[in-house]
Amino acid sequence: MNPNDGMNDNLNDNQRHGDSVKKTPRRRLWALAATGAGLLALAGCAKDAPQDTWQPAGPNAEQIDNLQQPVFLVAGIVGVIVFLAVGWAVFRYRDRGQGIPEQTHGKPVLEITLTVIPVLILIGVAIPTASTIFDLAKTDDTEMIVNVTGQQWWWEYDYPANGDNADRYGIDAPIVTSGQLVIPEDTKVLLRVTSRDVIHSYWIPKLNGKKDSVPGRVHPLRIEGSQPGIYAGQCTEFCGLSHAYMRMETVVLSRPDFDAWVANQLSSYTPPAAGTLAAAGESVFISQCARCHQVNGLANADGSLIVSAPEQYVVSGAAPNLTHLMTRNTFAGASWDLLNSSCRDDVWNATPEEFGARYLAGVSEPCLNQKDLREWLRNAPEKKPMYADPTKLQETDGKYRGMPALGLTEDQIDALVAYLLELK
Amino acid sequence: MAIIERPSADVAVAGAPTVVKPSEALGVFKRPAATSSWKDWLVTVDHKKLGIMYGVAAFFFFIVGGLEAVLIRLQLMGPEGKVLSADQYNQMFTMHATTMVFLFVMPMAAAFANYFVPLQIGARDVAFPRINAFGFWCFLFGGIFLNTSWFLGGAADGGWFMYAPNSSTLFSPTHGIDFWVLGLQITGIASLTGSINLIVTILNMRAPGMKLMRMPIFTWMVLVVQFLLLFAIPVITVALFLLSFQRTFDATFFDVAAGADPLLWQHLFWIFGHPEVYILILPSFGIVSEIIPVFSKKPLFGYPIVALSGAAIGFVGWGVWAHHMFSSGLGPVSVAVFSLSTMAIAVPTGVKIVNWVMTMWGGKLTFATPMLFAIGLVVQFTIGGLSGVTHSVAPSDTQQTDTYYIVAHFHYVLFGGAIFGLFAGFYYWWPKMFRRQLNETLGKWNFWLMVVGMNMTFGPMHILGLQGQPRRMQVWTEARAGEGFFNLGFWNFIASTGSLILSLGILFFIINVVYTHKSKKVAIAPLDPWDARSLEWMTSNPPVEHNFDSIPNVDHLDEFFHRKYEQDANTHEIKQVATAEEVLADMNAHPDEHIHMPSRSYWPILVALALPIICYGLIYNRLLMAVGAAFLLLTMFGWAMEPATAPDDDFDPPAPGEGGGTTKELAPLG
Repeated sequence: MNPNDGMNDNLNDNQRHGDSVKKTPRRRLWALAATGAGLLALAGCAKDAPQDTWQPAGPNAEQIDNLQQPVFLVAGIVGVIVFLAVGWAVFRYRDRGQGIPEQTHGKPVLEITLTVIPVLILIGVAIPTASTIFDLAKTDDTEMIVNVTGQQWWWEYDYPANGDNADRYGIDAPIVTSGQLVIPEDTKVLLRVTSRDVIHSYWIPKLNGKKDSVPGRVHPLRIEGSQPGIYAGQCTEFCGLSHAYMRMETVVLSRPDFDAWVANQLSSYTPPAAGTLAAAGESVFISQCARCHQVNGLANADGSLIVSAPEQYVVSGAAPNLTHLMTRNTFAGASWDLLNSSCRDDVWNATPEEFGARYLAGVSEPCLNQKDLREWLRNAPEKKPMYADPTKLQETDGKYRGMPALGLTEDQIDALVAYLLELK
Repeated sequence: MAIIERPSADVAVAGAPTVVKPSEALGVFKRPAATSSWKDWLVTVDHKKLGIMYGVAAFFFFIVGGLEAVLIRLQLMGPEGKVLSADQYNQMFTMHATTMVFLFVMPMAAAFANYFVPLQIGARDVAFPRINAFGFWCFLFGGIFLNTSWFLGGAADGGWFMYAPNSSTLFSPTHGIDFWVLGLQITGIASLTGSINLIVTILNMRAPGMKLMRMPIFTWMVLVVQFLLLFAIPVITVALFLLSFQRTFDATFFDVAAGADPLLWQHLFWIFGHPEVYILILPSFGIVSEIIPVFSKKPLFGYPIVALSGAAIGFVGWGVWAHHMFSSGLGPVSVAVFSLSTMAIAVPTGVKIVNWVMTMWGGKLTFATPMLFAIGLVVQFTIGGLSGVTHSVAPSDTQQTDTYYIVAHFHYVLFGGAIFGLFAGFYYWWPKMFRRQLNETLGKWNFWLMVVGMNMTFGPMHILGLQGQPRRMQVWTEARAGEGFFNLGFWNFIASTGSLILSLGILFFIINVVYTHKSKKVAIAPLDPWDARSLEWMTSNPPVEHNFDSIPNVDHLDEFFHRKYEQDANTHEIKQVATAEEVLADMNAHPDEHIHMPSRSYWPILVALALPIICYGLIYNRLLMAVGAAFLLLTMFGWAMEPATAPDDDFDPPAPGEGGGTTKELAPLG
């Protein structure tokens, strides 16, 4: 692929225009073209826009970027030429009392030329486009697989415990998480994207373009991160009431950090010490939350394991698995941070070298974003729009879409927060 | 004075039974006589009156859709906006798009087509005048029906693209989407009947000598659009029926649990939806292709290429629909094919831009408001077209689709392009339709405020999109806004401010209309205020009911210009040889006789009225539906039994010395 193909065609185009417009100062033309190009280039360097589509952080996004940069440049140059031509015509041929012009109906040579030039430019764009499309669709060298499932209004990540996942990354039991997708650095990860209800779209701009998650279909999407860090994304297919609150993040960790993360995710559940506030919180969790939210290893007093049954209460049939909630630093479809703002900045602004350790530290009590979490536990549908009014669920046989208000007391919330902090 | 006469029904032929005058024999079904009261507008079949009614109704919906847009922008002016709830916001953007596409741009183009196509081809009316009226009433009642959902539990909330399965009752339990589906079915009838009507009119009713390649370019573009409608509307009709059956009768066309593939809806929608884009833009291309030559005093550069590239867009436009679906999970082969076909369609579109610029090149340009809007279209559409090319590059599109970059793109195309073209048409043809020229000073305020507002609103959206702000988001959050020059906060604020300036610009248009028609200072416009080139200017302002006293013989493209100007054989200078008044007087010196105009009819409005009744019945009460259906059958019967002509007193008296009408021709049966 040679992005310069298109540009060369454009230079010719420019020169021809320059020749036909005898008096145009060519320098001005170039200055304007350069300004336009410069502005476009600037748009690509903005700082700190987490979903900026011009700052690739992995080979897939880079491939797209390599394609779009020259295309934008060519489009900008063509645009400038058209504007100059219009401007010149408006300036030069305005009515200054000249006679009625000759009634020419066209000049075939000129028309053909001005049709062929865009054809050539477009051929120059088409060839690298086609080859990039096929490159990006490659899946045969996949190193890791994650099943990504969208539902109103959060994403579930499920790491299957077989194949490369088990052999190379030690994932010997399925890991089910939500909100943040964690992947190892420089690894070709294949996301198998699907949905449990309506169509959503998985998009981490710095890692790749978007791919719709469609119920009944599994779509392949390859991502790969070249540097440890957090990469923000958002659901981009309109998916109903809380579409704006369906966000996601992908976390890239160095290989040793990723191994540590896997080991922690596979670690078994430790119940809170008896008599603590957290132990009280566990029983609140069991009575109020566990019917939808799975915590692996959570058991009743008689020792029987608790298996959540979200399919009885929720249209999509799923609710986020909270086993290691405090290893993620977001909740509610990545709409809010579990970290308070200063701790969040420490993680987000960390250098690639520091990042792993800070991320793996998880959420500790001093760092917890108490405000948003408590508001959420107090009345979730007030914080994030959801279909959770029990009086308006005729169409769904009483099932919710989203989390209902649980009517917890402040004491229960205190206990619950203490318990959730234990879920590391 | 031309004579509009009634057909004589009682020419006695020896031995034959006496011919019964239908208007007398079928008393209850009499056709209404002409009156000057407002009631005449309810029963009119005159293409000009219907054109004006299309225009007024469409402009009303433009204001409705515009207010929805302003609310959307106010909501997004700052982070975590509180103006609209998520539910209201979703209804707002769904109805904004639906209103602007189906209830403003399409019918406004229909307004111009209705009014000017018969005039431009030298016809007295359209081929099927009653069907024409029926189409208008379907559009109006469909649009009102659709908007009543606001007051009946909430409007549709699935986006104008209404992707399944989010559009099923499970995910959208209010009746909003039912109203949306049925309302669009009713307006679809308007588009479909209108398209057949205009195709037949253009192909069969041109003045003598007007070959296809002598047709004004606006008429050409209208013809292409009608073919697009003829084939696109049935597709959306089918899709809407499937959705209707799914929602109302529990069918499972898009039910994944029953084995359906939700992509079926996307394919059906965009096979309609992409030609729809050209349905929206081509009429405006036609309008500016009329205006630029007039204000450049030159013929349209490369007329055959502009006409044929319009037709080419009409064909290729059917092969690009899946570029709306690059991220929806098609395989790489389909993506590549649609990516390349999308690039291909840029060529005939680019050709038009080149031809407009070349028309101005070497001309004698004057910059009255119509020309300003036309140039505005050329420049802004170019921006929209080029951003379109950037997302024909499918991998690049997977970054841009469903972000504000796309919102920027299609608003440059549809607002900067289609709507600017329509405004150019308002200013250009206003004196033709209403005898008064809109005020130029107010017109320039109108233009410049719209240019500034439009670019301030939609220009920053390029940045917002490339910075990763998705579409259809009720709120945006500070946490994802960034901090640099391109931060979302600043540019969202600018876009919202721009939308207010844009609204102010449109307010200036309304002020201009009111001023022009209320102020005593505004004089009657000259017969040919712009020194125009085409046939619609070869009659009085506004045209008489039968359009032309005598149908012109057409020898040239730009016939009117050629009647006014001649080239000096020696000096090659072009000189005016006749004024517009002289051309008109020359034509009217020999008025046609035996002109038959279609009579008014009660039935179009009544048949159309039955449709929303059926639809309310379908949503609320099956008995009401039966009542509506019975009403529909009765009114269709009335339509069928209606006599061909109005009572005797609705005609000009026979001209002296002509001995009264002797022809046996009947008026068009429409």
